[in-house]
Amino acid sequence: MPDWKKLVREHIASSALAAASREEVVSELAAHLEEAYEASLLQGLTEKSAVEFTLQEVDDWHALAARIQRARSEENPMNNRTRSLWLPAMANLIVAPGLLMILQKLAVQPRVLWIGDMAMVLYLPWLVALPIFGALGAFLAKRAHARFVNRLIVGLSPALAVLGAFALVLPVSLVVDSHRLRDFPFSYFALTIFNWVVLPALALLIGTLPFLRETNSLARTEA
Amino acid sequence: MTQRIRSKISRGSGELAILSLLSEQPLYGFEIAKQIGERTGGALKFTLASLYPLLYDMEKRGWVEGRWQANSAGRDRRYYRLTPGGRRQLAPLRAEWRTFFQALDSLAGVSHA
Repeated sequence: MPDWKKLVREHIASSALAAASREEVVSELAAHLEEAYEASLLQGLTEKSAVEFTLQEVDDWHALAARIQRARSEENPMNNRTRSLWLPAMANLIVAPGLLMILQKLAVQPRVLWIGDMAMVLYLPWLVALPIFGALGAFLAKRAHARFVNRLIVGLSPALAVLGAFALVLPVSLVVDSHRLRDFPFSYFALTIFNWVVLPALALLIGTLPFLRETNSLARTEA
Repeated sequence: MTQRIRSKISRGSGELAILSLLSEQPLYGFEIAKQIGERTGGALKFTLASLYPLLYDMEKRGWVEGRWQANSAGRDRRYYRLTPGGRRQLAPLRAEWRTFFQALDSLAGVSHA
C-alpha cells in the first residue's frame, strides 16, 4: 500500500499554509485516499488497480494545492495572484535588466554581428545568464502554485516587458516623429525585435521549461 | 454554457448537497462523498479534489466546522458538522435551487425529460 501521507505531503509541501494547517490537511487527505483505496480493494480490485483507481481522485495536484491554499487562507485572491505572478515576475524583471546594466557599467564589450548594414548587439554573458533567470522566475511562480500560463509568463517576463515597450513606443513614435521613423526600414525593426525579444525569450525559455512540467510524484511513489 | 457558469452551478449544487447532508448528522470527508454518490445514484460525484477545497471554503465562511474524532473503526477522522450559520444558509439555498429548477422546467420541461 502506498504511503498516502507521504504522497500528499510531497504534493502540497510548497504551499504557503502554516505548518500546523498543512499537517492537518495532509492527515485528512491521506485518510480519504486510504479509505478510497480500501473501498476499491473491497470491491474486488487488485492492489495495483486499487491504487490506480484511488489516484484518480486527484487529476491535478498543483491545482488542488492552490485551491486548498486559497480556501484555507484568510487572504483575498488578489494576494495569491500577487504571490504567484506579480512578485516572481517583478523579481525576474529586476535581475535580468539589472545584470545587463551591470555588464554595461563594467564596460563589457558586446559582440556585434553585422547583417548587411544592420548590427545585432549581443551581450553573450547576459544571454548565457538568462536561462538561470527564466528558471528562477518560473521556480518562484511554481512554488506559489502558479498555473502553467503564469509560470510561462513569469519565466519570459523580461522578454515580454521589452516586447511590451516596443509595442508601446512604436505607435507613439509613428505619431510623434513619423518622418524620422521612415528612415528605418522594416527589417531594422524586425532585427531589433529578434535581438532584444526573440533571442532573450529563447534563452529564458530554456530555463523556464523544466518548471512548466507538472511534477507527478505519484509515479515516483508507485515505482 | 460557459465554463464559469457551469463551475458556479457545480459549486452551488455541491454546497447545497453538503449542507443538506450535514444537517442530518456530522460526517467526515470520505463519508460525505460516499453518501452523496449513493443517494444521488451517482449523478453527483465528489472526488477528493472537488470536495475538500469546497469543505475548507465553507468552513472559512463559518457554515461548517471540522473536528477530529475517532470513527467507528477507531481511526481519527475530521468530522464536519453544520454550524448555526450554515443552518441559516440551508433554507435560502434550497429556495434558490427550487426557483432555478422551476424556471428551467418552465423553459425546457426538464422535469419531464
